Amino acid sequence: MDLLDIRNLTIEMDGPHGRVRVLDKVSLQLKEGEVHSLVGESGSGKSLLAKAVIGVLNPLWDVTADRLWWNGKDLLAMTPKQRRAITGRDMAMIFQDPLAYLDPNSTVAEQITEAIPAGDVTGTFMHRRIDRKTRVAQLLHRVGIRDHDAIMKSYPYELSEGIAQKVSIAIAIAHRPKLLIADEPTTAMEPSTKDQIQRLLGKLAVSQSMSVLLITQDVASILPATQRVSLLYCGQMMEHGDTETVLNRPAHPYTDAMIKMSLQAHAELEPKSKLPSLPGAVPTLRHMPIGCRLGPRCPYAQKQCVKAPLVRHRDEQSYYCHFPLNEPEA
Amino acid sequence: MSHLLEAVDLFKTFRPRRSWPWSKKSVALEPTSFTLEAGETLAIMGETGSGKSTLSKIIAGVEAPSGGELYLNGQKLNYAQSKRRCQNIRMVFQDSDKSLNQQLTVGQQLEEPLLFNREMSNSERKQLIHSTLRKVGLLAEHAAFYPHMLSTGQKQRVAIARAIILDPQIVVADEALVALDPSVRAQIINLMLDLQKDMGISYIIVTHSPQIVKHIADKILILYRGKMIAFNETERLLTEKQQPYVQALLHEHLINHSQITGNSSAKVTE
Repeated sequence: MDLLDIRNLTIEMDGPHGRVRVLDKVSLQLKEGEVHSLVGESGSGKSLLAKAVIGVLNPLWDVTADRLWWNGKDLLAMTPKQRRAITGRDMAMIFQDPLAYLDPNSTVAEQITEAIPAGDVTGTFMHRRIDRKTRVAQLLHRVGIRDHDAIMKSYPYELSEGIAQKVSIAIAIAHRPKLLIADEPTTAMEPSTKDQIQRLLGKLAVSQSMSVLLITQDVASILPATQRVSLLYCGQMMEHGDTETVLNRPAHPYTDAMIKMSLQAHAELEPKSKLPSLPGAVPTLRHMPIGCRLGPRCPYAQKQCVKAPLVRHRDEQSYYCHFPLNEPEA
Repeated sequence: MSHLLEAVDLFKTFRPRRSWPWSKKSVALEPTSFTLEAGETLAIMGETGSGKSTLSKIIAGVEAPSGGELYLNGQKLNYAQSKRRCQNIRMVFQDSDKSLNQQLTVGQQLEEPLLFNREMSNSERKQLIHSTLRKVGLLAEHAAFYPHMLSTGQKQRVAIARAIILDPQIVVADEALVALDPSVRAQIINLMLDLQKDMGISYIIVTHSPQIVKHIADKILILYRGKMIAFNETERLLTEKQQPYVQALLHEHLINHSQITGNSSAKVTE
């Protein structure tokens, strides 16, 4: 059974200019211990999807889904209290800017101690105290921080970007969650720190048997350990499937464009030559195109594209397009 | 013939906070010399805290250097000569949201540098604003828009329009390309290359992305803890053997990528 099973999730909100569908029938399945990358440009609704899973959306928005199942239980049918219990126990999230996420007023040790579940430490007061301290040191070791004594005593402003992100990961894994949602954890970092964090996330997914939902902007920055990848554009799912298949033989024009626009692809081009790019800009919420939302920017678009395409399957990948690329020759 | 921009032993030191007047100053940038020709692109690379932003700020005139000289077209450029500097060296920032004034329309923001630096009539100014907007791929009608009405890419285009409206010789871009979406980033790089071809602008680009640098830079300057450890043409830096730090910076992603995949597969098999 899938850990997380989302079928046709739709989120609608009432704006000043009428009703807007910000997520349009998005499906996503996440198995246990799987690393899943969610790729999309800003405004594609990838953070919204994560928030819908965690359950922190504005209550005025309409969230409907054929299925929003966590381990076989329907999340949408639960009371907020039941849902909070599941979110608090089994899910954790890390964010783009760790320095904004950590509490500036307390030390690293205090913040990690808070995240350790109360049932984990037993005994007398002093026992619990010592236990907690060793647990904090263990957690810091697990995220690759060696000099735990110095780091435990320091405040967030004293930490470098990479260390701060590692601390936020330590807080996230303190209660052994089943799902870690990483919302653009490495976007603004420099390459060496980025690699460290990515390697750490990949390693943790294996050693803690934890699922990771990694949200990124760029196809180039998905984890090498990623098993599956999904591409979102303007609230619509474009393509999802096995990472190798999708990246080597993209079926959707958007996937193809994202691969060509990634930083890796730039390195192979002639210096100072024109970079491939999709024309135009991401449409605003007021002016969403009908049908396939990529339509106006898509180089392969034709008349049929004003109707939203149904899902099609090919080997290990599924895509939503009338005119797929890289079709096997009949 | 003189160089377009020549830096001779530029350096910057700070007095640490809570220190005695006679205690040792901390060095942000050790004496650095380099040259830049017209129509060339110089990339400044380095880790966080290596002084690359300090160097770009000194060039753009945001901060005064503690010593050393800067020559523009063979003439000395002092820190206080802000008029001459701002007409020839312009800056584009990372966050176009913060660098644009949300209270003014795009037209008003583009008009400001003209009001201070050029003697033009109203209609001439309007014409120039419209033609500059068209140059960066926007429409003349966008002059009446406020920044919040534009998308991220369009805002970055406005920021570039504001930089080139005075027909400068050098544009300094401090991390202006990193935080953008992939499609927007490709569009902005294309725009910058086009402008360089048409107007002969030189760029000084501060970034830590080796792929972008390889694509657009003619020369690379590499800083390590405030010290310049390499300054050469891109091709030579890429092909010749370099110090480990330079190698790591230029080929970082490729090296680490193979390492990660190797590690993770090993972990799975254990």
